Amino acid sequence: MEFEHYLLHVLLALPLVGAIVVALQGPKRQTAVRRISLGVSLVIAFCSFILAGRFMALERPWTAPQKPTERISTTFQPEFVPGLKSTALHDAGTDWDLIPLGAGTVQFYLGVDGINLFLIVLTAVLFPPCVLISWNQVHERVNEFYAWLLALQTCVLGVFMAFDIVLFYVFFELSLVPLFFLIGIWGGPERRYAARKFFVYTLTGSLLTLLGIMGVVLAVYSRTHVLTFSIPELVVLVNQQLAIQDSESRAYWLSIQMVVFSLLVAGFAVKVPLVPFHTWLPLAHVEAPTAGSVDLAGLLLKIGVYGFLRLCIPLTPDVSLAWGLPLVTVLAVIGIIYGAFCAYAQDDVKKLIAYSSISHLGLCMAAVYSLTATGLAGGLFQMVNHGLSTGLLFLLIGMLYERYHTRMLQDYSGMATRLPLFGFCLMFAVLSSVGLPGLNGFVGEALCFFGIMEEETTYGGGPFFAVVALSGMVLGAWYLITMVRRLLFGPLKEPHHDGPAIPDMEPREWATFLPLAALCLLLGLYPHPFLATSQPDVDRLAHLADAARQRQQQDVQARR
Amino acid sequence: MFSDPRYYLWLIPALPLLAAAVIGVLGKAILRDRSHWLCIGGAIGACILSFMTLSAVSGLEGDRIDGHRCIRIYYTWFHAGNVDIPFSLQADGLTAVMLVTVTFIGSLIAIYSVGYMHGDPGFPRFFAAVSLFLASMTLLVLANNFIVLFAAWEGVGLCSYLLVGFWYAKPSAADAARKAFLVTRLGDVGLFLGILLIWVNFGYSLEYDVVFERARSFDNHGLLVVICLLLFSGAVGKSAQFPLHVWLPDAMEGPSPVSALIHAATMVTAGVYLVARCTPLFGQAPEAQLVVACIAAGTALLAALIALTQSDLKRVLAYSTISQLGYMFLALGSGTMDHRLAAVAVTAAIFHLFTHAFFKALLFLGAGSVMHAMGGIIDMRRFSGLRRLLPVTHWTFLCGAGALAGIPLLSGFWSKDEILAVTKQAGQPGSFASGIYLLLFFIGVATAGLTGFYTFRAYFLTFWGEEKVPHEAGHHAHESPPVMTLPLCVLAVGAVGAGLVFGPTGWFGGFLEEHWVNPEFPRRLLSDRAEHAHDYLVMLFSSIVALTGVGAAYWMYVRQPALADSLARAWTGLYELSRNKFYLDDFFYSMIVKPLTVLALLARVVDQYIVDGLVDLVGQVPAFIGYAVRPVQNGLVQFYALLMALGVGGFFLAILLR
Repeated sequence: MEFEHYLLHVLLALPLVGAIVVALQGPKRQTAVRRISLGVSLVIAFCSFILAGRFMALERPWTAPQKPTERISTTFQPEFVPGLKSTALHDAGTDWDLIPLGAGTVQFYLGVDGINLFLIVLTAVLFPPCVLISWNQVHERVNEFYAWLLALQTCVLGVFMAFDIVLFYVFFELSLVPLFFLIGIWGGPERRYAARKFFVYTLTGSLLTLLGIMGVVLAVYSRTHVLTFSIPELVVLVNQQLAIQDSESRAYWLSIQMVVFSLLVAGFAVKVPLVPFHTWLPLAHVEAPTAGSVDLAGLLLKIGVYGFLRLCIPLTPDVSLAWGLPLVTVLAVIGIIYGAFCAYAQDDVKKLIAYSSISHLGLCMAAVYSLTATGLAGGLFQMVNHGLSTGLLFLLIGMLYERYHTRMLQDYSGMATRLPLFGFCLMFAVLSSVGLPGLNGFVGEALCFFGIMEEETTYGGGPFFAVVALSGMVLGAWYLITMVRRLLFGPLKEPHHDGPAIPDMEPREWATFLPLAALCLLLGLYPHPFLATSQPDVDRLAHLADAARQRQQQDVQARR
Repeated sequence: MFSDPRYYLWLIPALPLLAAAVIGVLGKAILRDRSHWLCIGGAIGACILSFMTLSAVSGLEGDRIDGHRCIRIYYTWFHAGNVDIPFSLQADGLTAVMLVTVTFIGSLIAIYSVGYMHGDPGFPRFFAAVSLFLASMTLLVLANNFIVLFAAWEGVGLCSYLLVGFWYAKPSAADAARKAFLVTRLGDVGLFLGILLIWVNFGYSLEYDVVFERARSFDNHGLLVVICLLLFSGAVGKSAQFPLHVWLPDAMEGPSPVSALIHAATMVTAGVYLVARCTPLFGQAPEAQLVVACIAAGTALLAALIALTQSDLKRVLAYSTISQLGYMFLALGSGTMDHRLAAVAVTAAIFHLFTHAFFKALLFLGAGSVMHAMGGIIDMRRFSGLRRLLPVTHWTFLCGAGALAGIPLLSGFWSKDEILAVTKQAGQPGSFASGIYLLLFFIGVATAGLTGFYTFRAYFLTFWGEEKVPHEAGHHAHESPPVMTLPLCVLAVGAVGAGLVFGPTGWFGGFLEEHWVNPEFPRRLLSDRAEHAHDYLVMLFSSIVALTGVGAAYWMYVRQPALADSLARAWTGLYELSRNKFYLDDFFYSMIVKPLTVLALLARVVDQYIVDGLVDLVGQVPAFIGYAVRPVQNGLVQFYALLMALGVGGFFLAILLR
């Protein structure tokens, strides 16, 4: 076993260990708690960088099989899997068994591939700012707060790393718990209602997802007599079954896919969130403490999109194409416009940014469901971008709230005069969010648009949705630039505050802002290495979609 | 290595960019009122490199394939799926001319700004933004593919936004900045859509030469027209053409050097550059060109009519910029394939861009100098007769006004006449839409007369009549310092002489043809330049019209000052129409801005009460079911026994009846 294989354990276990240590400190030793949390999160971020570096150095060439009927080789295996690769039935996997279930075994199967790598890094990178931003914001039950925060990190990292479908689901559900407490205990005045709504709404969706997961496992078992919970193996088996040119098998798998797709979507669409399943989000954001908002927007929403990429598209390619593509595209494009309009009308800055997330995630989902390599890459890239730029926006609004204890736009005006450095930072985050070239947002948005356009002109009727989605470009600028106009520009109006003069950006706040801003610049100016690293895995997904397209055409021809 | 521009092309945007970054980081704390040195250094460095590029490009052999330009690919910017965007730069004749114009005028304006911005608390911020602008603008003209172009296009838009809103505490400036950003972004959506369509239809490539090559054999004519119109919509936004021109007059809220640099000489001409660059596409879509020409002529006339009655000196100049940009697009729109005029048309447009950059920058800097002396007042009703108070400003402003009005032999005269000549050629009977082009020609000539009038109206109102100084100026209204007047003099020399040097000699057009047009354009778009030597009839005609306008202004504002007011009273309707900018701003506000805002409020209410209300309603379902079946659990043992008996009975009945 090489040392990369320990990295995943470290990444997963360290936050949990940190959480326990922090919890045991007791509520009195606040400084110690904060320092331990910061140290732990920094070590994790460092480890994630090493992981990314090692992974990007790997040679992972992949070329699509020429014929769709060709056996899809087991190339969905992740790298850096902890535990020995078992040689028996499974081509790969791990020997870390959790629960033996007759012929199959639920395994503790972790790994890294091009799709989750940068989400892991994003998770690790977003946590030190979360710890820092809460430094002076949280005073009650500090040890518990940081313990839940670190526990959340373990859960989110677990979702992204899991390659066993049961393990994935366990982390998927567990990630609700820490956030439930973070919102419910340290949130705003309506925190109980918000926490309950957030929890019940997403839980309802994801219970259906569980049925979907069981469905696909049992369907594979009944047709191939292989009981497996390994996602790569399930993907290969399902797609081999789909390639069988037999009308009985075809009908069976179409109906299975239909059921599985609907069930999976139920959970993921709430999580993303797609309009009209989004109403828990603005509420949860407004009530959550800053760190909770950052994690919610930056990571929790990504779990939804990630679910589509990891499970929905590869396990139900035919239905994803025939039903998912039109359905998701329509909902996503509605979300782009609707989210933008809702965002414009908000008075609470946090709510405004929450709605902007709905708009941005709409573009992301529309691109993912273009089911082309371009769009998938764009959607994936846009996930990371959104985590960075919206994370920055929430952090900055948190800093403002910490100073004046209000988030209402009408309480502010001309704050650039009073806090010029803060104004600069907010401007930067806004520009990153509206997709200014040179910053990360542009590359992601451009790729998304390219992907949607490619799908629509190559396979669809015409670039209708691409045109509608493009209006998001100007709508995004509309609400964010208006926010800047109201908040930063104009004659100075400072909310009432007691005590000494309000300071501009402090060193601690620079430490939260600068690393994320640097990443925004890096991803904007030289995104190629990141895109190149995820390309083989994105191509694999696109290949599955292409195979589904060919089957669809064959069906159409057969019907004639 | 200095002979080959490929080694230093990247430095042209990089030097100002570096200056911007250093000023941005150190300006506030360390550089403070020394910040301008870096900006000027970066601008002059870029200017020297631009001239080197120009000389290198003129030394290239045009007859080899791609021999007329230097291309350098630096790295892969992004690549995913079918998208492959390299970060690459190129320099050919057009780029070199644009580079020299931008960096030369940029350097002069940077020097001027040292005096103008002196003592402003945002001094470093100003120079950081100006440097960033120069970097973006040079990148825009150096780009070798549409995405790099678009990136720089957005970059100059950002700088415009930051500089229009430079005095952000002023609500009017903050609103103007927002308006500028959003209105141009509206055009950018069209531009990006055009780029997407090019990418999808021209074999997933966005490099200029590949796209233009494939466009030649592209058979879907309708789509090509659509693509051209979409590209043009970007230009309409950036270059302030009707109906997206509304942002430019408001943008005058920015400091005057910014108005001169961004909103007169360089950024607003980016649209002209884009359409000129894409002439191989437009040349094959005459319908699109007709639209371009019509919008252009309409804009030129409309803006000139509005400029007649504005009382804000800078706004008069802003509308004249819109009008002059209309001239440039008129030329570009006249160079249709059918007329074989493409080469003459684009060189005329770029020539006008070049001369306009000089005289309009000069006029704006002159207006800035007036504003500087008048304590920030720019309303022409508040001051007059400044001729003796500001002698240098007066004489240089006169040079600029003469050039803009098209006084014979000054620079504007030559370039405007080339444009009018092209339009007249396009209107020759027998070719595509000749009647319309003839009409456009007459609109162009009429606009020339209006230009002469409003330009000299502004000049006479400002510098003639009795000496009147607003109280904001205090008692020490004086000529600007040499650091401001020197750039004025240099630009005045350009405004007077540039036309005479490059116009009649044909050097400018010849250079562009040899190093850009001839190697790049399909043969059938070209005709022999000799056929289109100066059209003396047009020259005479337009000179008479322009001088009539100038004379009318002299008569109305110097000889008979009461005449203007009585005319305004006599024609109240028309006067108000012009003074209120044809009510276009109000129209857009009530037809677009207001409805969108209402829609947003509506969306907010719907989301809060209907969408979320439904969710809560669904959330009540389990509770409701529980409530509905709760009476069953009533705690009466007899009731349970009854139910049990009924159940068992029903069970047996079911078995028996089976």
